[in-house]
Order: sequence, then C-alpha cells, then structure tokens
Amino acid sequence: MYKKLNDLQFVIGLFFSVVSLILLLGSDLANKLNAYTGVSFLIFGLAMMFIRKANKA
Amino acid sequence: MRLELADYLIILVYFIFVIGVGFLIKKKIKSSNDFLTSSRSIPLWITSLAFISANLGAQEVIGMVASGAKYGIMTVHFYWVGAIFAMVFLGVFMMPFYYGSRARSVPEYLSLRFDEKTRGLNAISFAVMTVFSSGISLYALAKLMETILHWDFDISIWVSAGIVMVYTFLGGLTSAVYNEVLQFFLIVLGLSPLVVISLHDAGGWDNIKSLLQPEMTHAWKYMGNANDNPMGLHFMSLIFGLGFVMSFGYWCTDFLVVQRAMIARNMGDAQRTPIIAAIPKMVMPLIVVLPGLIAITLMQPALASKGYSIPTTANGELDYTMTLPSMIAHYYPTGILGVGITALIASFMSGMAGNVTAFNSVFTFDIYQSYFVKNKSDRHYLLVGKVITVVGILISIATAYIAKSFNNINDFLQLVFGFVNGPLFATFLLGMFWKRTTSHGAFWGLVVGTAAAAATHGLTVAEGKGGWIAEWYTIKSGMGQAFIVAAVSWTFNFFTTIIVSLFTKPKPDEELKGLVYSLTEKPKYHEQKWYLRVVPLGLLLLAITLLLNIIFF
Repeated sequence: MYKKLNDLQFVIGLFFSVVSLILLLGSDLANKLNAYTGVSFLIFGLAMMFIRKANKA
Repeated sequence: MRLELADYLIILVYFIFVIGVGFLIKKKIKSSNDFLTSSRSIPLWITSLAFISANLGAQEVIGMVASGAKYGIMTVHFYWVGAIFAMVFLGVFMMPFYYGSRARSVPEYLSLRFDEKTRGLNAISFAVMTVFSSGISLYALAKLMETILHWDFDISIWVSAGIVMVYTFLGGLTSAVYNEVLQFFLIVLGLSPLVVISLHDAGGWDNIKSLLQPEMTHAWKYMGNANDNPMGLHFMSLIFGLGFVMSFGYWCTDFLVVQRAMIARNMGDAQRTPIIAAIPKMVMPLIVVLPGLIAITLMQPALASKGYSIPTTANGELDYTMTLPSMIAHYYPTGILGVGITALIASFMSGMAGNVTAFNSVFTFDIYQSYFVKNKSDRHYLLVGKVITVVGILISIATAYIAKSFNNINDFLQLVFGFVNGPLFATFLLGMFWKRTTSHGAFWGLVVGTAAAAATHGLTVAEGKGGWIAEWYTIKSGMGQAFIVAAVSWTFNFFTTIIVSLFTKPKPDEELKGLVYSLTEKPKYHEQKWYLRVVPLGLLLLAITLLLNIIFF
C-alpha cells in the first residue's frame, strides 16, 4: 500500500474515490447533482487506480 | 453560503492529501537539486499538467470568469491568441536552450548567455515579483473566504499559508508539482458540473447568443474599431500587445511556468511539456470563460425566473470578481458545495506554491549562491533552500496583510510586474536567435525597456489610471493600456539591445554553443512517431486554434 502511495496517479484516484464516497454517502442524494457528480468521481477515481494496475501488468 | 459537515469533510480530506503528498515526497529529498529542481526526474504527464496548473491560480480562475461576464467571449483571446502560440514556440524553439544548457533556472540561462549583471537584474526582479504575487494570492483567498463563508481573515491566511508551507518545506518542488496535478483535476472536475448545470439553465449556447449583445458572443467580428467591442481594443493592439509581447513574455520567459518543463526527464519530454499542456489550455475557456458568459445571460430579463444575479458592490455596480463564487453558491447543494469551495482553495494554494517554489530556486541558486556564499557543500544549499521556503511564505503573509491595509497595493504591484515582464521577451529572442547580441546590449535593453514601460504608463490614462507624468493620451480600457505599455517596452528593449550590441564586443562562438540557435545542434525528430515529434504536434495545435478562432469569429 505504501508503495502505491508513491504513485501520483494512485493518489489522485484515491482522493477522488474518497470524495465520491462522501458525496454518495454523506450528502443529500435527493439532489441529483450530488449523485451524478459522486458517481462520476468514483468512476474517475477507480479508473485512475485501475489504469495504473493495467500499466503494471 | 453555509457549509455543512459533508462540505467540511471534503475540505479536510483535501488538506490531508496535500500534506500527505509532502510527507511521501520528503523521503526522496536528498540534495538541493532534489529539493529545488526535482533532479530532472518528473514524468511527462505530470510536468505537462503542472505546467498548466502553475498558471491556474485563483487570479486566473476567478479573474477569467469575471472577465467572461464583463467582456464576453473576447476573453478567449487570453487562450487562443495569448497562450497556445507562445506555448508551441517555447516547446519547439526555446526549450532546447533552457534544457540543453543544463541551467537550473531562467536567470542562470541569462548568466550563461550574457553575464552576471543581466542574471542579477532578472533574478532580483523575478524573486520580488513571485513572493509578492504569492502574498496577493493569499490575501485574495482570505478575503474571498471572509466574504462568502464569513471565515476569519487571519485564520484563513495562517491555515492556508501553513498548509502550503508544510508540503513545500517537506517535499520542495516535487511536492508542489504533484499537488499542482491534484489541484488541476480538482479545479477542472470540481467546476465542470457547474458549467453543465448552468449552461442547461441558460438554455444552451444558442440561447446565450440570442439573448446577449452580438459583441459579447463574437471574438473578432467587432475588433475592427476599438469603440465597437467591450474591451475597447483594436485587433492590431490585441495581436501585437497580447498575442506577441505579453504572451511570449510570460509563457516563454517566466520561470514559474518554464521551471515545470525544465524538470522533465529528457530533452524530448521537456519540449513536449508546453505542447501537451497547450491541449487542456485550449479547452480551458469552457471551464473559466463560459461560466462568466452564462452568468451575464442569466441576468437578462428573459431568464429572470432563474433567480440568479451577480452581486453588486457598495456603489451598486456589478462585482464581477464575485461571479464564480456566487454561481457556486447558487447552484451547488451541500456536498458538491464542498467540492466547489475546495476547488477555489486549491486554485489559490496552487498559485501560491508555484510562486514559492520558483522563488526559493531563484533565490538559492541565482542570488545566494551567486553573490553571497559560493562553494559550500550541497547540504548547505539544501538547508538554505528550505529556510528560504519558510521565509518566502512569511513574506507572502506580510504582503497579504499589507494588501489588506492598502487597497491600491495590488494595482501597484501588477503595474510593476508589467513593467518588468513586458520587455523581457525581446532579450531572450535576440539572445537565442542573434549571436551578435552582447551582455551590455541585453542589460541596457532591459533597463531602457522597463523605463519605457513606466514612462508610457505615466503618459497615458485609462479608466482613471496612469497619467502620473502628464495626461497625453486617453485609452478606453485598462487592458488596452496594459497591451500598449507592453508593446512600447518590448520595442524599446528590442532596438536598444540591437544598438548597444552593435557597439560592444560579443562573446566568442565557442562560449555560445548550446545557447544560441545558429551554434546549436538541432534536435533530431525523425526517429520518433509523428505524434511524439514536437513540430507536427505544434502545427496540429496551431491549426485547431485557428479553427476555434474562425468558429467563434
């Protein structure tokens, strides 16, 4: 895990994934803007982490 | 505007991440070069995004939205005229000298090409400019937070400066650059939903065009006469003042941005950095100009039901600088409101960290090491670099408080920056492409160019500013005055440098290899695939830029 944190791409992906969880779990999802942005951030965050894995593979 | 727990959590997560990046990078810092120049080890995608992000400070984000609301689509000239061409020129023609000379900074290149006095003049003026810019950025952040969130001014100053200090002190330039990339994504992704939802509210681009005056939605059509467009500019003033002098002066010589390309892993990446960075720069108006146009459209009577308006000042005039914060407050609910506010904070911190890291490199290498303490151990200069980082932050804080007490300090400093930056590109252009340019020519060209800038400002008046020598000529807008001051200062520098050079002795050719175009081996691109070569890439970008100008003519 520590090694992964030295990879900026992973750090950015992790940041957006954490923010997306706050948006999806901690805010009012009745407002669609929070839901759409949360899902978009989650996809982006996971993609940043996944692309790194794909490159390593 | 009131923040809830989710909003504060997002801001807190951001602070934890930027400081965390500093701690992660800290272990890699072993020498002054690691701390101040990243030892030329940063991958291309990071240098490119950091290059664009170093210019994506708060003044850029908030200022361009404000300009979009005030001047309309003409604001895109700062991108499609005032950036892309210069960025491509930097990548294709100038990076080989900056990178190939092994200089650690722009002033150090000047010392190799010319002499110590030219380097000293540039280094001192740059160091003063960056540290004051950092302070103004800090003041603007605290003022904004005080206005929209009612946060305490002092706490905003010390917390944000403290966070920037922690991560730049721990990880130096690499830490600042890594955080700039995070900040880039945060600003773009954090403000994109605002553009989408507000554009939908305004009825789309076609509706914006139908509701606004035509001069607000045409970039060039009304520039044949200065009185016909909101900026009060003739197209020739724009092309020479902004498109040539100011744009090339900033993008090709300002160490704050050039430094991001100089830390690339190799020459090819260093050249590609500004060219790759030009791609997001080209589409940035969607994030920072379009919201301003949308805001002014939403205030039209036909859209009064939307309930949005740009705040007004005490005098009842539209406070354009509040356009972006007021749109965030209007459209963003709790949750994404935290993202929007964090994006604003990120833009301020990005601008401040960029200035501080450029300041500590120039001060340590070009002032301290060159003029005060030479031939000490690397450990000594690493320590100095770290101390100067703290000193730079403290001066920034002091500047922020001065700016709070004296409203005019911002205008004054911006003015002085214009005097110094305006003529600089002439020095580099002649120095890199005319081997006959001498050290005395470069020095006196800079001095006379700066004096000409001050004199032009003192003899012209625009929006009540300038004319402190005599009111000889009136210019419609302050922006037009800035372009004219820059153009005059560049011209004086250019011809003074040539004249003095013709009467003084140039350096021998052997000393200019790798520093002057005609005496430098040209980079070979033919082994690379076309999309990795800077010339085809640059030409492609220029063609797209021309196309965008035609589409929004």
